[in-house]
Amino acid sequence: MTNEASFVEDEAMSLSNYLERGGKLTSPGNVPPRYRAELLRLMSSFVDSELAGSAGFADAINWAPGLTERIAASRITMEKVDHAERVLDLMSDFGTDKTLYNKAHAWSARQARDAQVDPKRQGGDMRLSVFHYPLENWADAVVMNTLMGLATVHQLQELSKTSYQPFGEVLREILPREKRHMELGLEGLQNLVEDETGRAEVQASVRYWMPKVAETFGPAQSDRFERLQKLGLRHTDNEALRIAWRTETEARLAELKLA
Amino acid sequence: MARFHSLEVTDIRRDTRDAVVVTLRPEETEADEFAFVQGQYLTFRRDFDGEELRRSYSICTGLDEGCLKVGIKRVEGGAFSTWANEELKVGDRLEAMTPMGRFFTSLEPDRAKGYLGFAGGSGITPVLSIIKTVLAREPQSTFTLIYANRQTSSIMFREELEDLKNRFLGRFSLIHILETESQDIDLFTGRIDAEKMETLFRLWIDAEEIDTAFICGPEPMMLTIADSLRKHGLNDDQIRFELFASSQRGRAKAKAKSSSITAGAGTCEVSVTLDGTTRSFQMEKDGTSVLEAAVSNAMDAPFSCKAGVCSTCRAKVIEGEVEMEVNHALEDYEVRAGYVLSCQCIPVSDKVVISYDE
Repeated sequence: MTNEASFVEDEAMSLSNYLERGGKLTSPGNVPPRYRAELLRLMSSFVDSELAGSAGFADAINWAPGLTERIAASRITMEKVDHAERVLDLMSDFGTDKTLYNKAHAWSARQARDAQVDPKRQGGDMRLSVFHYPLENWADAVVMNTLMGLATVHQLQELSKTSYQPFGEVLREILPREKRHMELGLEGLQNLVEDETGRAEVQASVRYWMPKVAETFGPAQSDRFERLQKLGLRHTDNEALRIAWRTETEARLAELKLA
Repeated sequence: MARFHSLEVTDIRRDTRDAVVVTLRPEETEADEFAFVQGQYLTFRRDFDGEELRRSYSICTGLDEGCLKVGIKRVEGGAFSTWANEELKVGDRLEAMTPMGRFFTSLEPDRAKGYLGFAGGSGITPVLSIIKTVLAREPQSTFTLIYANRQTSSIMFREELEDLKNRFLGRFSLIHILETESQDIDLFTGRIDAEKMETLFRLWIDAEEIDTAFICGPEPMMLTIADSLRKHGLNDDQIRFELFASSQRGRAKAKAKSSSITAGAGTCEVSVTLDGTTRSFQMEKDGTSVLEAAVSNAMDAPFSCKAGVCSTCRAKVIEGEVEMEVNHALEDYEVRAGYVLSCQCIPVSDKVVISYDE
């Protein structure tokens, strides 16, 4: 690699053309400014959501009804921080100070249960709006983890096709583990719906979380999506992803007779 | 934050008419920091007429060679590569950051893997490092290299590749594709295009035996190859790109000149460029950041942490003076070039022009 120019002058190609045709960028050195900004925004939204998600889920460890559930909750809490760190390592290549980043926001902070959080970002951190709502108890934590876990799988599958190769690689490593978190949620739900009290609790939580998780896919019409698509950072639009998630989620809930 | 170290030039070997291979030695105490993974690169910096230029060059040695070498091909109008080819000499010192890059897969000595490499011109350097390393460290793996150049005289590492072919007979195969020189077989003349890729797959490459393909060369060539690899069933995890950093100019652009500086309270006329659109507005000089002002003027400016840590909100000051309250993310050279963290950027002059697009 030499970065002073392409080796054949007449083969020079515009970066936008390259990205539109599915080309990949591979290091901070070959990322132009606007691309850098959008990429860092995507990465920090992921990092903030994982950190806030983990911080909120930590409570679930002590709510867990049994040892198996305790282990599952601990694992989810731990691995989400690990996922955040892997992406934060990529951000560090762009200059992000990893140590200070962890201290930049109160990741466990939540708004009131009945707050109306604008799905657009709130204040300093970039967490998805769903992570501003508090969890109430074990059943609530399991429901939120399952519904958001299903959304995360769709969102990460989309982002893993990103034109920034190192980000795509990290997301493809993370994806099976996030999938496992979602499956642990489904197993937890299975146990909870066995008795009628549990079922009623779960149903109430599903009603609470469904619209909030749906909002994490972003607005149906989005200028940002179009911008990101031109840069090869996104491919499938928000609404299509949301529909795919909703269809899958409704099927899963129907299996548990929760629909 | 990234730090530069001093490396001694212990050897310079001319490889082709316009490429040199430079051997570098870190300080003894810093040798560990320069331990690299095959396929990684070094970023150098040097001052040219008062402007700092940074250039990255891939390491071309394998892990078992016990030394650090980079190949530098001279590029027309490229300040650093011209200097390295014409003026750099043994005994000089170069400033470099520790090895970086992710153009590799992990080594698995017990497995028999099939690798396919595509290199265009000086794109050979990281691929060569990978070839030498996997052949030595994975005794059952095979590597096929398809190497595109203008003509025989511009082929970098030609002899070394021939030696490797003889040393690893049956495990390393090499196909030269020359743009302007006819060879015995037509397939090996011209450029790598979709049609040539099809023929290669029909006659020389068995897609099912490929675990990983490495591609480093000009963008159009990489796209053509990646398309063809996908068509033959390889997925994104199996295709590794390394891109020439072509978004960087050969020469650094002149530093933004500050003008019309009047410090003090009052209002500031701010002009912000984002996505090719420029908007102007007035803001109070009351400690509000330029980012806050842009956002409250309905601009979708990029930002994340708002604490001067993440660098998402990096922008360039084109005109005027600003003060940056906190900076944990930008390096000195970026600040000297006029970059600021807009979330920490308070206007000082009465007029400030900033851009997120540069």
